[in-house]
Amino acid sequence: MALGSPFRSALRVALAVVLLAMGLVAASGCGRTPPIEFPLNLEGREPASVSPKQAAAIRQALTELFGTPNEPRVPDGVPLDLKRLAMAAGAVGGDAQGRQRGLYRRHCVTCHGIAGDGAGPAAAVLDPYPRDYRRGIFKYTSTRSGAKPIRKDLQRTLYRGVPGTAMPSFAHLPSEQAEALIDYVIYLAIRGETELYLLQLVVDEQSYLPPDMDRVMEEGVLPVVESWLLPERNQQEWVVTPPPRPEVDRPEVLAASIAKGRELYLAKDSQCVKCHGPEGDGNGEEKELYDDWNKPKKGVTPEQTAALARLFKLPLQRLRPRDFRKGVFQGGSGPADLYLRICVGIKGTPMPAAGPAPGVPGPLKPDEIWHVVDYVRSLAAGAPTPQ
Amino acid sequence: MPSRIGRRRFLERSVASLGAMAAAWGVPAVLRASAAWGDLVGRFVYDGKAPERKKLKVDKDVDCCGKFDIRDESLMVGPDGGLANVFLYVRSRKVSICPELEASLPKQVKLDNRDCIFVPHCLSIWYPKQEFYTVNSDPIAQNIDFRPLGDLPANIILSPAPGKNVDATWKFNKSQLVPVPIACNYHPWESAFILPRDNPYVAISAADGTFRISKLPVGKIEFQAWHERSGYLETPQWLRGRFEMDIRAGVNDLGTIKLAPDRFER
Repeated sequence: MALGSPFRSALRVALAVVLLAMGLVAASGCGRTPPIEFPLNLEGREPASVSPKQAAAIRQALTELFGTPNEPRVPDGVPLDLKRLAMAAGAVGGDAQGRQRGLYRRHCVTCHGIAGDGAGPAAAVLDPYPRDYRRGIFKYTSTRSGAKPIRKDLQRTLYRGVPGTAMPSFAHLPSEQAEALIDYVIYLAIRGETELYLLQLVVDEQSYLPPDMDRVMEEGVLPVVESWLLPERNQQEWVVTPPPRPEVDRPEVLAASIAKGRELYLAKDSQCVKCHGPEGDGNGEEKELYDDWNKPKKGVTPEQTAALARLFKLPLQRLRPRDFRKGVFQGGSGPADLYLRICVGIKGTPMPAAGPAPGVPGPLKPDEIWHVVDYVRSLAAGAPTPQ
Repeated sequence: MPSRIGRRRFLERSVASLGAMAAAWGVPAVLRASAAWGDLVGRFVYDGKAPERKKLKVDKDVDCCGKFDIRDESLMVGPDGGLANVFLYVRSRKVSICPELEASLPKQVKLDNRDCIFVPHCLSIWYPKQEFYTVNSDPIAQNIDFRPLGDLPANIILSPAPGKNVDATWKFNKSQLVPVPIACNYHPWESAFILPRDNPYVAISAADGTFRISKLPVGKIEFQAWHERSGYLETPQWLRGRFEMDIRAGVNDLGTIKLAPDRFER
């Protein structure tokens, strides 16, 4: 049925009035939250060194590849579950089936920030700072030196929390939600490393804009994805399963193992004392220790360090080697946890891998690592240091 | 539903696997490669008074390291101004590789920990063909720590030598656009740089400032110059340390490249 012409004109006017009113309301900000965006990673850079055009090109490339905080997406070849990502992303709420949405913003964002930069509103008062995922480095893994964590490692951290820090246990979450959060953390990490690559390509290299997306995939995204897949696909080579612990069921056997562990701990080969000190109290000769997230904030002179501070969201934070006598271990205090810390090291920190790895003999053999574990646990249990 | 990028990648990979099949079936890999090759030579000169190399603070493992005269290696200028440790490399992404190079280059690139410093200070590696290996010649433990962008980071302990098997090998998986710093967490004065590339066309200028990139394919190639003090080594002619050159068969001489001292201040 066709409407009469005068009626159509009236309808048009009415529509225009309604649209204008809506526009005014929107412009005044009433009832509308600003769109949530991933902030650009300008850590360590003079903001003026990135031109508005370059910043826009990087944002555009990242949005094309990874979507937005409300609508994440992943390029082909990134093995993440979009349904899980959708569950973790977006505003806190629920869907029609009563399933929770916005899990990341419900549980994580206060400390880890919207882009996973580890600089959420609560971060500045925490020591250590929350993890910045954007370098793709996670401290507590079962994987060999250099490798990314496997999914199980992130699950362990999520379930256990990080003792001695503000990271609580999320063991109460239904596994569906925990898995969604793990996918989302890996998503932020892959996105973050791609962003670092884009900054190098667009700003440092001053490539033509917009950047060649095939090149970004080939040089930026896919190598990062490969590094996540490497330990998962090739667990035999890349994942350490602690060998069975030698029997220490009798006190004299345990005492012998502890004594042997102390000897290895103090030996020049292992270098434990350099940071943890001869007493295991974290008071070694190395005082100027920083993790990978803080190293760039450290200048050669105090003046340089002060000048660098304004380029970072959070102030320089020194790393304190673990005081074993306190018995609190961030990566877990079970014998197998401590075995892994010694064997594969703590990623992103000066704590190196002391165990053997393909191509790297390492100073400690598996049975020797168990002795050191027994020694460290004896200190944690309050045993006096043997003289 | 594959995205646009996904489809393109798939096509590229299919083409790449066809290439691999062709190689396996004995089809020459460098069909389109140039038949002629040329060398690029020249010399970097620091156009000013050679700066004094400062003695570094050696306050760890003093028993061993204290006896060496350890000095800053970040700006090494020879007696007649030759500037060492300038990286000069092919910036063009696709470059034909002279088949003779693979046979003539060593299979391994070695970094030694000797007298409490890294030797050499600057290295490059053709990572698909060469293996990085590192040894410790000192009687104290050493550490090798580097974080290439988008590649696996390393943090390796090397037990005290001699008398022990303390060599460690490492594989790079990705080209880097600029050299990667190598540090030792035990001895903060130690420093080295390594540039992993997917081609062998990298020169590091020698103590007298001279360099040579051998057997480049003839034709237009873009080069990049980099030094640890200046970053991209800019000259009035080389914006951001880059220049394009038409390589001809035989020797292509860039002559002496004079570099103003203010580029190296810090």
